Amino acid sequence: MSTLLEVRDLSVRFGQTTAVDGISFDLEKGASLGIVGESGSGKSVTCRALMRLLPPAAKISGSALYDGADLLQMPLPQLNQIRGKRIAMIFQSPASHLDPLMRIGDQVAETLRKHTQMRGQEIRDEVLRLLDVVRIPDPARWARAYPHQLSGGMKQRAMIAGALACQPDLLLADEPTTALDATVQKSVLDLLAQLRREQNLSMIFVSHDLGAVARVCDDLLVMRRSKLMESGPVSRVIDAPQHDYTRKLIASHPDRLTLRPVAEASTGAPLIEGQGLRIRYGGRSLADLIAGREGGFVAVQNADLAVRPGETVGIVGESGSGKSTLARSLVGLVKPQRGTVCFDGTPADPTGKGRVAYLREVQLIYQHPYEALSPRMTVARAIAEPLRRHRLCPPREVKDKVADLMEQVGIPTKLADRYPGQLSGGECQRVAIARALAFDPKVLIADEVTSALDVTLQAQVMDLLLKLQKDRGLTMIFISHDLGVIRRLCNSVIVMRQGQIVESGPTGAVFDNPREAYTRQLIDAIPHLHAGAA
Amino acid sequence: MFVIGVALVLIWGLIAAAAPLLATHDPYAIDFAAILKAPGAEHWFGTDNVGRDTYSRVVYGARLALYIGLLGVVAPLVIGMTIGLVAGYFGGWVDTVAMRLVDITVPFPFFVLVLSIVAVLGPGIENYFIALALVGWVGYARLARAEALVLRQSEFVLAARTMGFSHGYILLRHVLPNSLSPIVVYLMTDVTLVILFGAALGFLGMGVSPPAAEWGVMIAEGQTYISTAWWISFFPGLAMVLIGVGFALIGDGLARMLRIER
Repeated sequence: MSTLLEVRDLSVRFGQTTAVDGISFDLEKGASLGIVGESGSGKSVTCRALMRLLPPAAKISGSALYDGADLLQMPLPQLNQIRGKRIAMIFQSPASHLDPLMRIGDQVAETLRKHTQMRGQEIRDEVLRLLDVVRIPDPARWARAYPHQLSGGMKQRAMIAGALACQPDLLLADEPTTALDATVQKSVLDLLAQLRREQNLSMIFVSHDLGAVARVCDDLLVMRRSKLMESGPVSRVIDAPQHDYTRKLIASHPDRLTLRPVAEASTGAPLIEGQGLRIRYGGRSLADLIAGREGGFVAVQNADLAVRPGETVGIVGESGSGKSTLARSLVGLVKPQRGTVCFDGTPADPTGKGRVAYLREVQLIYQHPYEALSPRMTVARAIAEPLRRHRLCPPREVKDKVADLMEQVGIPTKLADRYPGQLSGGECQRVAIARALAFDPKVLIADEVTSALDVTLQAQVMDLLLKLQKDRGLTMIFISHDLGVIRRLCNSVIVMRQGQIVESGPTGAVFDNPREAYTRQLIDAIPHLHAGAA
Repeated sequence: MFVIGVALVLIWGLIAAAAPLLATHDPYAIDFAAILKAPGAEHWFGTDNVGRDTYSRVVYGARLALYIGLLGVVAPLVIGMTIGLVAGYFGGWVDTVAMRLVDITVPFPFFVLVLSIVAVLGPGIENYFIALALVGWVGYARLARAEALVLRQSEFVLAARTMGFSHGYILLRHVLPNSLSPIVVYLMTDVTLVILFGAALGFLGMGVSPPAAEWGVMIAEGQTYISTAWWISFFPGLAMVLIGVGFALIGDGLARMLRIER
């Protein structure tokens, strides 16, 4: 095997900040290399530097020899002969890299027309072949479709088809599966692994997800704070990590995480219940009235759930399955069209009169740590707000109470006067949790709280939630698309699909013996930490 | 640039505050011995057709200009923000009604509308303020509504609702502060606009009435002598440009600063 790409001392600086600090690696022909790191570690910048896609403000030094020629030094016309033709790149959000006004087939054909001698019918045939290679069913039909008509996974496949059009030697994939649902993620990863074998493609795969990288790659680079921490074959790095940070990264993966044990499932009467909930958005417009139809869109259909005191129930499903809508109906953000919510055995009305009293018992934590806090309120004021507004404690004690809450969720007191913009994602999420705890609620609903966080932070937040549950005897509803996380946190699990609950039961039973094929699919899609899983 | 803008506006503020100290003559004193005098040591900016000192009148004019500019935007700002935030946050029929009102106002050129209202109500600065309140709120309402539409779906507003806070409180403490940035920028350009239109009304004889030391009025008075005594109209014009550029630069600077903060 010969070396295809030889990177030496690659550094990228933006003004005073160093984004990539002296990275060196080799890529053999036909090999695949994964670059893993948390957000801000410089992994994407490395990838983009190789393609010279960084803004002019970036100062790049070092060398990247591709087949003997330095990608970082060569003149632009020569580089353009290589970009797209011999090195292709796919991005995280296919939606923003496909032209919305161009049919899928034409977008793939564009590259062919630019970089090959093919013309006319030849191009049309090649486009259909490529769409078939990336497993888009009925290529002739989808080639005529526009990007908005495709699902996220299909778009990513179309983008891969475009990248493969010129039969490149090297594919750079920058977080290609991060924006996708677990099952779609798995199918795209399988596709990449297969393409690698069949087309003898070399690949650099950038991801924050060690499990995804392990599925596709042979070798691994671990980056942190713009430096290379560790490199080696995937199996070696995972089984015998050399560096402390790598060890931490691996230990944070839901597969390996050592968490305190989940509280025993209790047998008492349900604390919070939803019975026959049906939630619809929109509809009842004039046009709907005239047409005599219901209109709108049914987000949740006949959902029943019951959560016993001290228990944690997980709700899992792909995006659009209605799991967040269901949670929001429990805190009165949406009014169910039919069905009732019961708290402590009595019907509650989260949107009506008893709302304020009810919400003291049931609190919701949101997904995006930065968005859930008002950007113009300091940490201390955000946590104090419910205390003051609802007079949850005498005004004199607010300050002590805030400090106490901050300590419980592990925020250093020196951060009290910071604004959310000055905190990390994990810290913001802790503040949001502290604010919810200010109510001293009995039920805590966590809506995808770990999804936007890096693995190590995700592990810390999961641990925090378990600790709080144990200390305070909280009842929790934990919503996630990540079954790996659900399995580690929940006593029982509810699987949702297209607005309906398709399966529910104790976590162990559902995972070991899923009744539904769909649940099985979700379970199979959990990224596991062992090399060459695909 | 922002600093230049702030400096310009500050200087005008000082001039307005210290007008009696800075003025060399009484701005209203008629002096038939010094009619249409060119700028010189005695009269720095010259004198007009009844011998009033142009420099002193420009200095006193700063008071009127700032008074009109700063007071004229208050009513549109308050009315516009209230309507816009409420419409955007609650949506539904409130929004429909408010936006149809906006639609009625938008097709007419702003100045034409203000002018016709003043024409109906009669000349005078109070009527100008009333006209501004009736028409000027539209710009603020549209901006505030756009911000509120986005904010009402943001997680921190949802979080405030799940914390059981009332809509009024959420609007005041969460939506309002976070919607301010584009509105403040617009406010700065609006101040300029209100000063200019105020002067334009003075020029047309429908705003502040003569013999007041108001820049628009002064320009109108100098109009007849523009070929022989250019200074009567030139200096108030220059003053208007300088104050306008000052507010505009502040607006630009704020826009840039607030964008980075986001």
